[in-house]
Amino acid sequence: MSTAKSKLFKDPASTESVRSILRVVILLTIAAAAVASRLFSVIRFESIIHEFDPWFNFRASKYLVKHGFFDFWNWFDDRTWYPLGRVTGGTLYPGLMVTSGAIWHALRMISLPVDIRNICVLLAPGFSGLTAFATYLFTKEMKDSGAGLLAAAFMGIAPGYISRSVAGSYDNEAIAIFLLMFTFYLWIKAAKLGSAMWGGLCALFYFYMVSAWGGYVFITNLIPLHVFVLILMGRYSGRIYVAYSSWYALGTLASMQVPFVGFLPVKTSEHMAALGIFGLIQLVAFVDYLRGQVPSKQFNTLLRALVILITVVAFTGLVTLTVTGVIAPWSGRFYSLWDTGYAKIHIPIIASVSEHQPTAWPSFFFDLNMLIWLFPAGVYLCFRQLRDEHVFIIVYSVMASYFAGVMVRLMLTLTPIVCVTAAITVSSIFDTYLEIDSPEEQDEDSDSKKSKKAKELSGGGFLSSKAPFIGIYSITSKIAVIAAFSVYLVLFVLHCTWVTSNAYSSPSVVLASRMPDGSQHIIDDFREAYYWLRKNTPSDAKIMSWWDYGYQIGGMADRTTLVDNNTWNNTHIATVGKAMASREEVSYDILRKHEVDYVLVIFGGLLGYSGDDINKFLWMVRIAEGVWPAEVQERKFFTARGEYKVDAEATDTMKNSLMYKMSYYKFASLFPPGSAQDRVRGAKLPSEGPVLHTLDEAFTSENWIVRIYKVKDLDQFGRDHFAVSAFEAGKKKGKKTGLAGRAGGKKGRRAVRI
Amino acid sequence: MRLLPVLTAFTSLLSLSVAQKPHKYQTFAELASSSKGSKGSILLNDQLFAEISSPPRNYTSVVLFTALDSRYGCVLCRDFQPEFDLLGNSWHREHPQSDGLLFGVLDFSVGKGTFQRLGMSTAPILMLFPPTTTGSPSEQMPLKFEFNPSDTTPAEAVARWLTHTTKHTVTIHRPFNYVKLFTFVGGIIGLATGSKLAYPYLAPALYSRNLWAAVSLVAVLLFTSGHMFNHIRKVPYVVQGRGGGVSYIASGFSNQFGLETQIVAVVYAILSFSSIALCLKMPRMESAGKQKIAVMAWNLVLLVLFSFLMSVFKMKNGAYPFFLPPLIA
Repeated sequence: MSTAKSKLFKDPASTESVRSILRVVILLTIAAAAVASRLFSVIRFESIIHEFDPWFNFRASKYLVKHGFFDFWNWFDDRTWYPLGRVTGGTLYPGLMVTSGAIWHALRMISLPVDIRNICVLLAPGFSGLTAFATYLFTKEMKDSGAGLLAAAFMGIAPGYISRSVAGSYDNEAIAIFLLMFTFYLWIKAAKLGSAMWGGLCALFYFYMVSAWGGYVFITNLIPLHVFVLILMGRYSGRIYVAYSSWYALGTLASMQVPFVGFLPVKTSEHMAALGIFGLIQLVAFVDYLRGQVPSKQFNTLLRALVILITVVAFTGLVTLTVTGVIAPWSGRFYSLWDTGYAKIHIPIIASVSEHQPTAWPSFFFDLNMLIWLFPAGVYLCFRQLRDEHVFIIVYSVMASYFAGVMVRLMLTLTPIVCVTAAITVSSIFDTYLEIDSPEEQDEDSDSKKSKKAKELSGGGFLSSKAPFIGIYSITSKIAVIAAFSVYLVLFVLHCTWVTSNAYSSPSVVLASRMPDGSQHIIDDFREAYYWLRKNTPSDAKIMSWWDYGYQIGGMADRTTLVDNNTWNNTHIATVGKAMASREEVSYDILRKHEVDYVLVIFGGLLGYSGDDINKFLWMVRIAEGVWPAEVQERKFFTARGEYKVDAEATDTMKNSLMYKMSYYKFASLFPPGSAQDRVRGAKLPSEGPVLHTLDEAFTSENWIVRIYKVKDLDQFGRDHFAVSAFEAGKKKGKKTGLAGRAGGKKGRRAVRI
Repeated sequence: MRLLPVLTAFTSLLSLSVAQKPHKYQTFAELASSSKGSKGSILLNDQLFAEISSPPRNYTSVVLFTALDSRYGCVLCRDFQPEFDLLGNSWHREHPQSDGLLFGVLDFSVGKGTFQRLGMSTAPILMLFPPTTTGSPSEQMPLKFEFNPSDTTPAEAVARWLTHTTKHTVTIHRPFNYVKLFTFVGGIIGLATGSKLAYPYLAPALYSRNLWAAVSLVAVLLFTSGHMFNHIRKVPYVVQGRGGGVSYIASGFSNQFGLETQIVAVVYAILSFSSIALCLKMPRMESAGKQKIAVMAWNLVLLVLFSFLMSVFKMKNGAYPFFLPPLIA
C-alpha cells in the first residue's frame, strides 16, 4: 500500500467529480436492476394485468383516458354493485390512474402512442427505480452517500417491495411506496433546515400520496409522532416548528381536496394525532417565545402548569367528542391493527382477506433475508448518533415492525426502513474494514493509557463508542470480514432473484404448472371463461360471483357484477354469501330479485387449485351469518365432529347449499364410478353428484376452474322448478319402462364420459 | 307504545284463564315471589315446572336447565347463571307484571325427575315453551337455544333469539360497572401519584439512552420474529413430536411455535450484536493481537448463526435452494 496512492483516493476534493459520476452511474444501474428484476412475469407470460384490484385500476384508467378527467371525476358506475351502483369517482384514490393517464398523454405528445395497458403494466417497475432513488436521498440524509447507494440497491431488489410492484401489479402501492419515501425525505430535509419551502414540498408530495393510497395515514401519524418524541426529548426548535406547521397546514388542506378523503382529516381519530400535535407545537412555541422574553422562574413553572392543563383539557375534549360520536371512531381496518381480536369478531370481511393475517417469522425472512438481522443493528447505530433525523428512523422502525407483525400486507411499509437501517449497518462495517491504511499499534505505555481510559470513562458516552476510534490493524481481519459480507450480499441478491422469480411473478390470472417432462404448461382458465362471458352473453347480463372476482369480471368480461373487491356494502356482500350458502329454493328467490343472469364459481378440485370458492366458502357463510344469523349458521356446515367436509360425510346444509352444488355438479361423471376425488381437499366424493333444479350449466373451463351457470327463467306454466324437474324425471322414467330411473340416469352419464 | 295492546290483550287473556280455572297463582308476580328466585326469574322444582310447562299456556316461558352445584362441576352453568339473571332482571325492570314472558331456572339438584323425563344428559340447556293458546301446533313445540361458546355477551344473544322467535322484544340493561370505573380512576390517580413520587429516581432511567435503545431493539426483535402471530393465533409453545420427542420447529411456511420464534429472535439478536461489535467495538480495541482474535471470533459467530438461520428456513420451506456453509440442512 503506497500511502501516496491512498492519500490520493482519500482526498475528497481531488476525486469529487469522479465520485459524482460514479454515483450517477451506480444509481442508474440500480434503477435498471430494479426494473429488470420485476419483468419476470412479462417475459414468462405476457404483458398482462395481475390479480384482482389492478383490474379495477386498469378499467378506471381506460375510462380516464377515454372520457377525460372531469368525466372520470364524476363517474357513476352502474355496472358494479348491481342494482346499487357505485359513485366510483368519489370513492377511489385517483392518484394512480391520473399518473398513468398523464404518462399516456405525455407519450402521445412526443408521438409515442403507447397502449394504456402497457403503461399500466410497466408503471410499477418504472416507479421502483424512482423508489430506489428516493431511498438513496433519504439514507444520504441519515449517514452518507455510500450508505445511500447501498440502501437504494437493497430497496431495488428487496422482495418485500417487489411483491407489490412486479410488472402488471397495477395497484396503488405501485406508486405509493415511492411517494412514501420521497415524502419522508422531504420531511427530514424540512426538519433539518427548518425551511418552509421544503415543508411545502413535503406537503405537496403528501397530497400526491393521499390521492394515491389509503396508507397515507401512516405518514399522517408518523410525522406527528416524530415531532412529539422530539418535543418530549426537549429538542423543540424553531426548525421543527416551521417544518411541521407548514407541512400540516398545507398538507391537510391539500388532502381534503381528494373527494374520497374530504373532511376525514378533521373528523376521524386516525387524523387526530396530527391535529393534536399541531395544537401542541403552537403551545410549545408560545411558551418558548415567552421563556425568551420573561426569565422569571416562577413564571416558567406557571406556564408549564398551563401547558399541562391545556393538554389534559384538549385530550378530555377529544375523548368526549369520540365517545359522544361527533368524531368518528376508528375505522374498522385501522382499529383491527390495535385490538388484534377485533376484526375476527366484528368484521369478518376484513378478517377474511389473506393480506390481513398476522405475519409468521418465515415471511419476514422470505421478504427481507439478511436485512432482517441487520435491521436492529442499524437502529442501534441510530441511537448512537441520535440526531433529530435518527429519532425519525427509530420511531418508524418500531411502529412499522409492529404493523408488519400484525398484518402481512404492511410488510410493505416496513421494507423501506429495513433497507435504510441495514444499509447503515453494512456501510458502517465497510467504512471500518475497507480502510486501506492500518493504524500503528501504540507502545505499551500502560500508565498513560490507563489514565486516558479513565478519563474517557468518566467523560461518559454511549456504550461501545466510549473508547477512541483507532481502526483495524490486521489486513487479514479486514479481508475476512469483507469477504464474509461480500458472500452474504451475493447470497442476498440470489435470494431476492429466486423469491421474485418463484413467488411474486405469477399474475394469478394465468397459472403456470410444470409438465412431467419439465416444460411449462399455462393454465388459462380464467381468461377463457371471462372471454366466454364477453362473447356469449348479452352486454347487460348480470353476473353473480363472490366479491373476489368482481373486478376481474368487470375488467375482462365487461359485464355487470353484484359485488366486487371494493367491499363498500357489507349487506350486499352478505346477500351474495347467503345466496351461495342457502338451499336452492332460497337462493333462487335472491337470484331472481337481483335479476342475476349468470352465476360464476371458482372450483379447484380437479386441478388442485387451492384458492377456490369451496375453501373461501366458510367466509361467505360467516359474512352472511353476520347479517342473517337466523337463516345462515356456520355451525351447520360442520359435521358433528366439527370438521369441514365435502365428501359423503358433509352435512345436509353443506350438500344442499348452492355453492356445493355448483362446484360439484357433474364432477363425479369425470371419473370412473366411485373414484371421484377432490384434489384440493383430498376428499373422495360420492358417485351420486348433486342435482341442480334452478340453474343450467352454461360453461365450464378447460380445467374446471371456472364454472358458469345460467339462472333458469320462470317456468312457462308457472310451476316451480322442483316440480318441473320432478315432472321431467318422471317422463324419462316413463319412456324407459322397465329400467329404474336412477339406473337410467347413470347410464346416460356414463355415455357422456366416453 | 307498542306494548300497550299486547298488555291489554294479555291481561284480558289472563283474567279469562283465571276465570275459567281457579289457579293457585293470580299473577306471575305472585308466582315469582312465591319462590326464592331473583326478581326476574323463578326458581323452579319438578312440580312448579310441570305447572308452568303444561298446556294450556297463554304465556311464553323460558326455562334454563342447569346444574349449579359444585358437585357436578358444570363451569358453563356457573358462567351463564349471572347472564340469565341479568336477562330476567332486564325483562322484569321493563315489565314488572311479566307480561307473558316468564323466566325460570330448574336446577338438577331439585329437578332430577324432569331432567330424566326430558332425557337431558347435559347442562346448561335453555328451552323456550311458546304459548299453546295461539299459533299453529308446529309453532307450539318447545325450542332449544344453541349456546355459542365464543359469545362474549350471552345475555344479548339470548335476547336477540327471544326477540326473533317470540312476539316480545327483549332488551338487556347491563348495570353500569362502578367497580371498573373506580378501579380505573383510582388506578390513574395512583399512577400519577406514584410517578410524581418516583420521578427523581426514575428520571435518570427515563433519560437514559441505553434503556430506550434496549426497549426499541427488544420491540423490533419481538415483532420481526413473529411474536404478534403467536399472540393472535395463540400457537402452542412446543408440540410433542412423533416418537415422544419435542418438536421445536413447526413444519410449514406459515406456521410457527412459540419457542421457535424465541429461538429465531435470539439468533437475530446475536447476529445484530455481532455486526454492531464488528463495526463499533473492534476498531476501538487497542491491542492488535486481541483485535485480530476478536474480529475472527465475531466473524465466525456471524457465519455460523447465519448459516443456522438459513438451514432452519430451509427446513420450513423445502423448495428453498440456498444454503450457507458450514451448516447444510
